[in-house]
Amino acid sequence: MIAARDLRLRAGKRTLLANASFELRDAAFTAILGPNGAGKTTLLRTLAGIRPPDGGSVLVDGNDAASLSASARARRIAHIAADELFIEQLTVRDVIATGRFCHHRWWEWRESARDALSITDALDATGMTSFEHRAFATLSSGERQRVWLAMALAQEARMLLLDEPTSHLDIRAAQEILQLLRAQTAAGIGVVCVLHDVNEAAGFADDLLVMGGGQLLGCGDAERVLTTRALEEAYGVEMERMRSASGALRLFTTVPEARECRARARPPS
Amino acid sequence: MRLAGLLAIALGAALLATLCGGTWIDPAQVIRALVHPRPDDVSTIVWQLRLPRVAIGAVTGASLGVAGALLQGLLRNPLVDPYLTGVSAGAAVAIVAGTIVGVTFAALPLLGFCAGIAAALLVAALARRGAGLDSTRLILAGVALSSLFSAAIALMLTRLPIGAAAPAILGWLAGSLSGRGWSELAFCTPYVAVGLVCALAAVPSLNALRLGDVRAASAGVDVARAQWLILGAASLLTASSVVLAGTVGFVGLLVPHIARRAVGSDARLVLPASAIAGAAIVMAADAACRTIAAPAEIPLGVLLAFLGVPAFLYFYIRSERATAAA
Repeated sequence: MIAARDLRLRAGKRTLLANASFELRDAAFTAILGPNGAGKTTLLRTLAGIRPPDGGSVLVDGNDAASLSASARARRIAHIAADELFIEQLTVRDVIATGRFCHHRWWEWRESARDALSITDALDATGMTSFEHRAFATLSSGERQRVWLAMALAQEARMLLLDEPTSHLDIRAAQEILQLLRAQTAAGIGVVCVLHDVNEAAGFADDLLVMGGGQLLGCGDAERVLTTRALEEAYGVEMERMRSASGALRLFTTVPEARECRARARPPS
Repeated sequence: MRLAGLLAIALGAALLATLCGGTWIDPAQVIRALVHPRPDDVSTIVWQLRLPRVAIGAVTGASLGVAGALLQGLLRNPLVDPYLTGVSAGAAVAIVAGTIVGVTFAALPLLGFCAGIAAALLVAALARRGAGLDSTRLILAGVALSSLFSAAIALMLTRLPIGAAAPAILGWLAGSLSGRGWSELAFCTPYVAVGLVCALAAVPSLNALRLGDVRAASAGVDVARAQWLILGAASLLTASSVVLAGTVGFVGLLVPHIARRAVGSDARLVLPASAIAGAAIVMAADAACRTIAAPAEIPLGVLLAFLGVPAFLYFYIRSERATAAA
């Protein structure tokens, strides 16, 4: 479990988050929503302990994240960054094996049987077994995202923090990644995802955090947090909230035609 | 296995460098001198001239190769040269100034070493960001300070009475193993040893850093600590090599490329391969320097640049084209 206590985040002089306290549960799927530039990536990195908070603290299983060594922290929290980078020469297996770094001392250079087992499991869980010896540079976006997920699984951490794992993916690849993550929560792992698609969040998340305007605009389950008011405040766009035939929550931006229609229906004042 | 091949080449270079020079010595005579040193000419040449130079060549080449591999890995930039740390330019300023004002020859290594490390600390201070280092600023600070130091050297060489010190200074700036012996090697050995241990300690971090700073940090690398460890190791190794051989170009920049071509990008193999390839190249080049124009010597740095750079460009571009065609 990760807990934020009076967490403050800044980018230069701009406040991204002012004194927020919340908890990220084990065995649950938490989505972080908010407009571009709201500080979602900064928040995720701070929660992952790879960036110090600008105020307040992050507690990992009750310990201050700042007091943990980098390795000890990585054994508890796996973080997947969103940035795409060119990786020369490395195979899928090389990349995933990097996830085992935190289980080694500096002089332990050899891959142990435990490492091999963990890497095999991670390949298996993400459906990448047949890609093991492929060059990473030759993979598609969806396949790369699976590799990053496999690397995080190889860390064997209790919390998985992912920055926009479904951006740039087609609908099917995105659904597959989200289902893989959902399956992790069933195994007791806490999943925290920065997402851009409100409906992905509504469909998969147990808890949601909505960021915007330098503060936490909402925190809780989808029914409570995903109101048109909170989303309009966060994104500055008019939203409509509806139900699918199966009763699931669905949110859409109001299209211009609907806006005109509504204006016409309004009685003249 | 590629590593074993490189090692065989290095041993061949060491043997060749022991045999040839101003006079060719028979392998049988060399072996006799090695096993039963006697106070004759051959034993003196082998023990006091050839062996120290071969050993210094090996240490210089290995240090520069490892320093280059460390920094190219840390900065993920194949154009990085260990002299970028400011070490060589800093050491050069101190040694040129020291030679001109007449500091005793025995004190020059210490002077050069301290000035080199001081210059590296200055570059690191300028590149500091938070707890760690900013890659771009490190490169900029290194390049900028190096040109400042070069200008200071040019000023000293043109405005001060150099006189009898000229050959020593020029040999030093062009890179040369001429006149170096066991005492210089003994002076540098502890620093090289510390540098190599730090380099080995950085190997797992270097491998994780192939995925970029952020992903390495996510995997549990203390990036700031790894940066200081790697920069410190590279500075110690570079300063030692500069004290031993002056400013030898080519090796620190290009040897890591040769190593990666041979063994891939895994730091567990790249660092040893860089050490071995660097040692082989410097030993062989120094043997050529002594032999080609004997009894005169060609500066090591000059020979390495004239022979090594075209050869490297030829092989590198050819293999790049082969990769592109495949």
